[in-house]
Amino acid sequence: MRRYQRISWLLILIIVAGALVASVVTDDGPATQGERAYEIKSTMLCPVCDGQNVLESNAPVAAAIRAQVDDLVAEGRSDDEIRAWMARQYGSDVNANPPRSGVGALVWILPVLAGVMAAGLLILAFGRWRSGREIEPSEEDIRIVQTLREKN
Amino acid sequence: MTALLGTLGVGIALVGAIGALTSLILALASHRSDRHSRALFWIAVMVSGCVVAVVAMEIALLTNNFSLTYVASNSTESTPVLYKFATLWGALEGSLLLWGFVLCIYVGAVSLSFRRQISDRLVAWALLTMLVVCVFFFGLLAGPADPFGTLSSPPVDGDGLNPLLRNHPLMAIHPVMLYFGYVGFTVPFSFAIAALVTGRLGEGWLLSIRIWTLIAWGSLSVGILLGAWWSYEVLGWGGYWAWDPVENASFLPWLTGTAFIHSVIVQERRGMLRVWNLSLLLATFALTIFGTFLTRSGVIESVHEFSASSLGPLLLGFFAAILVVSVALIGWRGDELRSPGSIDSPLSREGSFLANNLLFALFAFVVLLGTVFPLIVESINGDRLAVGRPYFDRMLLPIGIALLLAMGLAPLLTWRSTSRQVLAQRALGPAACGAAVMGVAVVMGAEGLGPVLGIGLGGFVIGAALRHLVLACRRNGWRGLTGRSGGGMVAHVGVSLLAFGFIASTAFSEEGEFHLRPGDTGSVAGHQITFVELTDTMDGPNRVVRALIDVKGRGGYSPAITQYPTFGRPISTPSVATSFVDDVYLSLIAIPEEGSDLVVIRVLIEPLVGWIWVGGLVIGIGTLLAVIPLKDARGSRREDVVSEKAL
Repeated sequence: MRRYQRISWLLILIIVAGALVASVVTDDGPATQGERAYEIKSTMLCPVCDGQNVLESNAPVAAAIRAQVDDLVAEGRSDDEIRAWMARQYGSDVNANPPRSGVGALVWILPVLAGVMAAGLLILAFGRWRSGREIEPSEEDIRIVQTLREKN
Repeated sequence: MTALLGTLGVGIALVGAIGALTSLILALASHRSDRHSRALFWIAVMVSGCVVAVVAMEIALLTNNFSLTYVASNSTESTPVLYKFATLWGALEGSLLLWGFVLCIYVGAVSLSFRRQISDRLVAWALLTMLVVCVFFFGLLAGPADPFGTLSSPPVDGDGLNPLLRNHPLMAIHPVMLYFGYVGFTVPFSFAIAALVTGRLGEGWLLSIRIWTLIAWGSLSVGILLGAWWSYEVLGWGGYWAWDPVENASFLPWLTGTAFIHSVIVQERRGMLRVWNLSLLLATFALTIFGTFLTRSGVIESVHEFSASSLGPLLLGFFAAILVVSVALIGWRGDELRSPGSIDSPLSREGSFLANNLLFALFAFVVLLGTVFPLIVESINGDRLAVGRPYFDRMLLPIGIALLLAMGLAPLLTWRSTSRQVLAQRALGPAACGAAVMGVAVVMGAEGLGPVLGIGLGGFVIGAALRHLVLACRRNGWRGLTGRSGGGMVAHVGVSLLAFGFIASTAFSEEGEFHLRPGDTGSVAGHQITFVELTDTMDGPNRVVRALIDVKGRGGYSPAITQYPTFGRPISTPSVATSFVDDVYLSLIAIPEEGSDLVVIRVLIEPLVGWIWVGGLVIGIGTLLAVIPLKDARGSRREDVVSEKAL
């Protein structure tokens, strides 16, 4: 039984590891210009339509931005260049990805801090609970338990 | 006439709420138990008043009474009856009336089911808290958000709803469902406040309101998913969730509510986490009010925001009051809330619930931060920035994956502590299920570490849930599916199906835009579409242009685009060829130029997206199974009730 279980776990591990490796190897990022343009469009917000991205919006300005992204990608500009160009043209809030510098970076940092703090508190709590468990029962405790046992 | 009737109804409801509140306060102050039942009379008055107001509004809508401002600006003669009926919740004032109505249903139901315990101080305080909420909302309806304002010179025809709100029957269901969830959390919130005020912080009241919490949670879950489905079917961009502020506002209370329905099990079983559970209930209700503030005050721009108003300060004030009262009460009762037990091992059922709760809290924090961050930054230094989908996707992916892991592990762990051998033996089946799902996904072409890991963990969760269900059914027959544990596991299966659909449709969708003349074909991701013909018709005053598209192997579909005379931009109505493998989502981009038959068609291939709705259905069924624990179902129900002390 034991051996059968061990072999099964080994098999599962091999399949999972293989699948994960395959998932990383085949993930080659945006390969064609079309895929790159698609990625950029999906992270650009339409300036006039309340939070929809330019890929989703039917507004004329969104169509214009889509065309501009296609042109800039065809010209061989880098993603960052295109994003900076759009921010100059339409304002910094067309970029759906908040900035990684200045005050804006807080939105990235705070959740990580919160996560680390939560994990720390959890470890601390388990530590305290564990030490609490080692308290020896007093003589009175033992006496109470014994009288109860005798009753039953 | 109907306006007068409506105003009268709102007035009676407000008077009833104040009357019930006063009689409860007097009864509580006099310590005489015979006085409490007077409140029941006033509650009945309040409910009747609200019913009169809702009926009056429906009559006004159905009979095209354009002398009412609300009807004139939100309905037209040509609106189909179903949407006339649903216009009640199509704009701000009406949706607040619906809020009041749903609140009345909950208050009425709670007072009926607790009528024999009405002199119990805990129940009295809970009703009192609910009535304060009622007074607030009927106060809004009686003054600043009066739905029954009239026009001195009524127009011949009204403006009509935003066209997006009148082209899908889900308009009639989704908002009501959502409100049953949103408003339903008032009940556990009120009992939490009552427990804090009376100092009765034991576990008894938690059991008696469990069913209410589950009903609210289930309605909110289904309501949110119906909203997602509606966006998918209506908005024309093939998406269902955009991390938009209005969506986030409904999602935040769901996150804290979900954390609560899990951690409350630890309190019932082990008497622990009392402060945390109370805080979750208080936070859930506070978040519903905060969400209403965000979406009803015009501080945030959103595609879903169909109504903005000057109610902002009032809602913000109410939110602040809830927060202050909650924090003060928890601070006051802090000492009595300290829990006796301890969690011995992280590798235990309660350890996994704790992990689940921290993850949900973190999840909610990220969603809240992302939603309000642009507002905060703009108020600090005037910078305008946006926090959109890429941010939420990146931050929430690791939390979501950790949640799936906890979700799969929890049912395999025992209380107190679990030995490695037991876990290795119990987890074998579920892990094999996960590995198999992962392997199949990779063979089918899934790529990327996050998506593949998520899909595999979804398989693991299903395996763990099925293992539990099979064992429970072997013991109790089909009743193993009921009760909290059975229904909960069914809901877990639903969540996994939803996760499959969400991950696959987000990570592996493909898109193509085609300029086609009749007879032309295009293909994307192995699907071939052929443009057959264009039709251009008038539907009443609206011009409807349809393109008949043949999707190879799926038949004919006709996405349309409609120009409404009262609405500037034409509205695209997509058409979706659904299957269990993938959806072919077709939408017309623009009305073709005059005399031209060249159409621009967007085609989106979304793998497994239909499983999101199937998952939602399964979650709903799971909730029902958990809510209706059959009276004589022994195993699971008794297991729930047995407390730690009795062991």
